[in-house]
Order: sequence, then C-alpha cells, then structure tokens
Amino acid sequence: MSSIGTGYDISVSTYSPDGRVFQVEYASKAVDNSGTAIGLRVNEGVVLAVEKLVHSKLLVPRSNRRIQTVDTHIGVATAGLLADSRHIINRVREEAQSFRDIYKYQVPGKTIADRVGQYVQAYTLYSSVRPFGSSAIIGIVDNGGPHLYMVEPSGVYWDYFGCAVGKGKQAAKTEIEKLKLSEMSILDAVKDAARIIYAVHDNAKDKEFELELSWITKESGKHQFVPKEIAEEAEGLAKESLNQEEMKDD
Amino acid sequence: METNIIPRKGGFNFDNYKRNLFLEQKGLTLPKVTKTGTTIVGALFKDGVVLGADTRATGGSIVQDKDIIKISYIAPNIYCCGAGTAADTLFTTALISSQLELHRLTTGRQSRFNSAETMLKQLLFRHQGHIGAALILGGYDINGPVLAHIYPHGSSEHHPYITMGSGSLAAVSVLETRWTKNLERQDAIDMVKDAVEAGIFNDLGSGSNVNLVVIEKNKTESLREYSKPTPHHPKNCDYKYKRGTTAILKESIKDLVVVTDGEAMDIS
Amino acid sequence: MPLKPGELDLGTTIIAAEFKDGVVMGADTRATMGSYISTRNANKITQLHEKIHLCRSGSSSDTQAISDIVKYYLQLYSIVNEEPTTLTAAELMRELNYNNKEVLSAAFIVAGWDKHSGGNVYILPLGGTLHKAPFAITGSGSTYIYGYCDSLYRKNMEKEEALNFLKNALALAMSRDGSSGGSIRMAVITEEGVERLYIHNKDIPEYNDLEN
Repeated sequence: MSSIGTGYDISVSTYSPDGRVFQVEYASKAVDNSGTAIGLRVNEGVVLAVEKLVHSKLLVPRSNRRIQTVDTHIGVATAGLLADSRHIINRVREEAQSFRDIYKYQVPGKTIADRVGQYVQAYTLYSSVRPFGSSAIIGIVDNGGPHLYMVEPSGVYWDYFGCAVGKGKQAAKTEIEKLKLSEMSILDAVKDAARIIYAVHDNAKDKEFELELSWITKESGKHQFVPKEIAEEAEGLAKESLNQEEMKDD
Repeated sequence: METNIIPRKGGFNFDNYKRNLFLEQKGLTLPKVTKTGTTIVGALFKDGVVLGADTRATGGSIVQDKDIIKISYIAPNIYCCGAGTAADTLFTTALISSQLELHRLTTGRQSRFNSAETMLKQLLFRHQGHIGAALILGGYDINGPVLAHIYPHGSSEHHPYITMGSGSLAAVSVLETRWTKNLERQDAIDMVKDAVEAGIFNDLGSGSNVNLVVIEKNKTESLREYSKPTPHHPKNCDYKYKRGTTAILKESIKDLVVVTDGEAMDIS
Repeated sequence: MPLKPGELDLGTTIIAAEFKDGVVMGADTRATMGSYISTRNANKITQLHEKIHLCRSGSSSDTQAISDIVKYYLQLYSIVNEEPTTLTAAELMRELNYNNKEVLSAAFIVAGWDKHSGGNVYILPLGGTLHKAPFAITGSGSTYIYGYCDSLYRKNMEKEEALNFLKNALALAMSRDGSSGGSIRMAVITEEGVERLYIHNKDIPEYNDLEN
C-alpha cells in the first residue's frame, strides 16, 4: 500500500486521496489472519463449519465457540478477533429478540442480515471507534427457506450459496465452487464442509485445530451442532481424504 | 411516603380540565364560548363539490354576529365548513391551511385532500375532543371531487352528501330527498342552498344568509350571500329631521389663508 | 373507558370468519351519537395492508386513529422486511390497544390472508388481549347472535355459504340491536385478492326468510 505512513490510515473518518478507508481494510486483514470459517447453503438447509485454531493444550476442548446460536433458527459462524465476534453475536441476538418482541415471529434472514450490516457499518464512520475485526457468517432458515449471509467489517453483506473467510478462504472458495450445492443433500454438505476445513488447514503454520460443525435443517428449522455420530463420520472421511491427497502428492 | 403523582411520559396535560370540572361542580360558572349553532352542508355533484353554510354566530341565546363566514379556505382546491366552537373551527382550519401552503411551496404540487383530512383529524384526535371543531371538508384533487366530515374527537368519513351542526336535522331531509348521483352543477347548488335555508328557517341556532363555495377541476368559485332569505324590512318611519327644520340666525365665513399670485415652483 | 361526551359511537355488529379459501368479514353501517344516527352508511371495514383488513367497533375516532397508525407501521414494515402476516398486523394492534387501554374504547377483528398461514381471524377485545379464532363477533349487536353463530359456523365453508352465514347473522343482530343498522358491508379476502360487497338496507333479509 503506497499511502501507508502518510497519515490517512489512522482514522476511519478520513478518506485517503484515492478514496479508501484504510482502517476498514486493516480490519479485513485481521479477519484474514483467523482460522477459516465456511458456510454452505443447500436445499435442505445450511451448514456452518469453522477451523478453530487451538493455541494451547491447556484450553478446555470445545470452549470459546466460534459458532453460536443466536435464535432458534439462526446460527452465526465468525472469523477474526474473537472478542469482536462475540460482540457482533450479542448484537444479532438482541436484534433477533427485539424483532420477536414486536412482531411475534422469527426474524427473516434478509431483515437480520440488514440490521447487523447497518450496525457494523456504523463502526466505519466515526473517529472515536474502531471497525470490527470480524466477519460473521449468518445461517438461517426462515419462511422463505434456507439462507446464508456474510457480513464483512465494512458492513456489506451478500446472500450466498456458499462462502468462506479466514486464512484458507481462497482455497476454500475454490473447493466450494466445485460443489453442486443445488443438488446436494445436507448430509453430503456436512461431509464436504468438514473435508474443506481439513483441506485448507495449514499444518505447517498452525498445528492444532478443532472442527466446529453446525447446521440448520429445513426439517427442524433449528440451529444445532451436528450430532456427534454424523460429525465424527464427516471428520473421519475428511481425514481420510486428506491422507489420500497426501499419498497422491507422494 | 407514597405520592399519587405519576410522572407523565409525554403528550398533553389535562389537569386543568379536571380542575375546571371540579370547580364547576362546586358552583363556579365558567365563561361561555361563542358557538356557531350552525347549518353546514356539502354535496358532491357530477364533477365537483358544493359547500354551503349559514352566517349566524350565537353566544347562548344572543346572536353575536349576523354575517360570519363559516366556509374556510384550506387550499385553492380545498375548502372547509365549520360547526361547533367558532374560535376552534377558525383556528384549526387556519393552522392546517398554513401548513399545507408551506408544503405546497416545498413540493410544488397541488395539495391533496387526504393530507388536509389526515392533518385535521390527527390534530383533533390529539386534543381528545377538547377542540370543538366539527368540519365538512370538500375538495377536488387528482382523485376527483371528495367530501368528508370530521368530528371533534378526530373521526372522519367520506360521503356523497353531508350536513352537520344544530341545523343538520332540518337540512338532512332536503339532502335525503333530493340528492342523486351525477347531479348537474346548478341543481347541486340549488339543493345545498335549500338545505341550508331549511336550517336557517327551522333551527334557532342558524340564521341570516347562505354562503356557498363550488369546487371543480382547476376552478373554485366562492358565492358569498348566494341567498338572503331573511332580508331586513325597510323601516316604516323616518326619524331624521328634514333640512331647514332649524332656522339659520347668523352666517359668518372667514378666509384663514391668503392666496397670492407668484412663480410656479420648480419641480424639474 | 366510556365514550366521551359528543363522541361518535360505532355501536356496532361486526363479524369475520375463516372459510375454505380465506376469510370473510362483515359489518353494519350505522354510526350513532347517543340516540342520533349520525351516519347510516359508515364504513367499518378498514384496510390495513393489501390482504389484511379489520372491522372496527367502539369509538369511531379511537379506532380510526389506531388503524391509521398500524396501517403506517405495516407500510414501513413491508418496505424494510417482507409482506406482513395477519398475525403481525394483529400483534401491532394489540400492542397499541394494551398500552393505551386506560384511554381507549376500541375493539377490533383483524382478518386477512397471507402465504404462510392462509386465512386467519383475530379478535382484539377491550383490555388489550389478542385471540385467534375460526370466527369472531363483537360490538353491541353481537350479544344477540352468539348462539346463532356458534350453532351454524362450520369450518371450510364455500364462499357463498360463508357470505350467507355473515349476512344472516348481521341481519339478525341489526334487527334486535338499536345501535346497529343501516346496510351491510362485507369483504372476502383470498389469495386472489380482496372483494368488497354491499347489501343495501332494503335487500337485507328478514328473520323469516333468511337465505341458507
């Protein structure tokens, strides 16, 4: 970045001469340093998967979840600074609850994504605040069926068939593009999600990671962590396919 | 100690109203307001709307004004008849008229009937019936001719013919027998005039003349004193002294100014 | 809260019912001020959104003010979110009704059709509660026809059956209740849209020749 050090990268309330807001871009960098998170949308529901890097063996397994339930029908997977992520997740919870209080039914995907987007965007306007170093993948099944949204640090959000953020996002996106999401069952989507997370994990740089797998099936309409047997099967297959790849390389 | 004072969240405070009710029960008589015991009428015709009103204003049993105007201007294409408390009808219509004029200046468009109606009814509803304005609103906008009545509590309805005020019971009989769909302009004017006259003749609160306003597409005509059904009879006797009744004893005229010739003033 | 002096009363009979393809709604057209009929042709069926309507009873000004507010809410809601459901509309009405129950005299029947739950009828009585019902009646005239409606209402009626049910119930109530009368207005709401019907005073059936 040519303009680094010229003073335009200190505040979100100042544009650089070529029309950029560097603080927002730096926030995206913070997201890029994080373990990969992906979301897949198929006809039967939505699958979320996260490569949660474990920095220490002293941590209790399955603590500091990066996928969380925010309403019965909504799951959020995050990448980036965990503290920021938790703040965003809290906000999604509040918005979902407030919608329920007023309108007495589950908030639709479009509405929750828009509200979170508006909230995150507000943190790119004032010099007194720092943009969120976190991207949130929102999986939801509403009256219109399954939906997948990703809100970025700038506040933009899109409606996705499949999305990925974090360290391995490029490789993950390439893998997702190969999938036939519109014909896939949700069980296959779980397997592919697990496989992709394992595939993009860089063993050389990060040793340990925990796979977080959740889904919202159209059948139940509920966000849940994928049941143990199914998750273990998917994880097993993922490891297997990784070994095969390695053997091919050899 | 517990108190009965509940902090208000907002809105109006009606404490004085309650106090006055209490004082009235204790025997205090409050001053009377001028009411327009009134006959007001409105009717749709083929391509327009006619509004009509009498011109009497009363305060108790006294006629306060024999020629008051009860049809107020709201916008060039919207007028409004008022019954109830004279001051309230005049001020509410003037207030809304002013807001609509500003709105026209910012938008550059003709005022909508619905805007006037909604603004009036919301104002009246906010004051919970304490503004004693009963209105007949008539106008012509992009939706064609429209007629509505608005009650002091803030409810409104659209109807093809309407009458309000103390003379409405007399006027309604004229409207119920004579109104039909697609009346001709002159027939509508005659009917409204007769309806107001029914009020003037049969209701003590209504009297004097009939004022009309006819609103059509891009044309509004105000017919002041369209009918004077109760003319003043000429006085039978003349009490003025004839010229010359008083004899002239002496005459003296003095010039207070001396006029001289001279050059004209230079005014070039 | 009793009516304030000089307030326009919709001493009313209103009714709505689910049928095979949606909902039917009906109301008389009389508005009174004390013993004076101020309007013999009022419209007590008000539109809240494209396929959500309500019947109003109680104070004319209170019910109009509330429905105007909710109409505005739903307009905004449909832009920001999605097409509102009948339940959403009814809940918004309920919220206003409950929060202002000390100063309002207003009861409603909200009915409509939406793609998630089809035809629905909700009733909102005075205190600020909300009930879902296959059919609902309220207003001063409704007390005379509870038995009639309970015995004759059936689920999944055809449109003509449902309209006759409404018309007869209203006719009976209007003949007994002094505060109800005038003509009958009805509305049919289905997936296809809204159809409004008007039965002139002179065409209202008498008790001994009710159509079935």
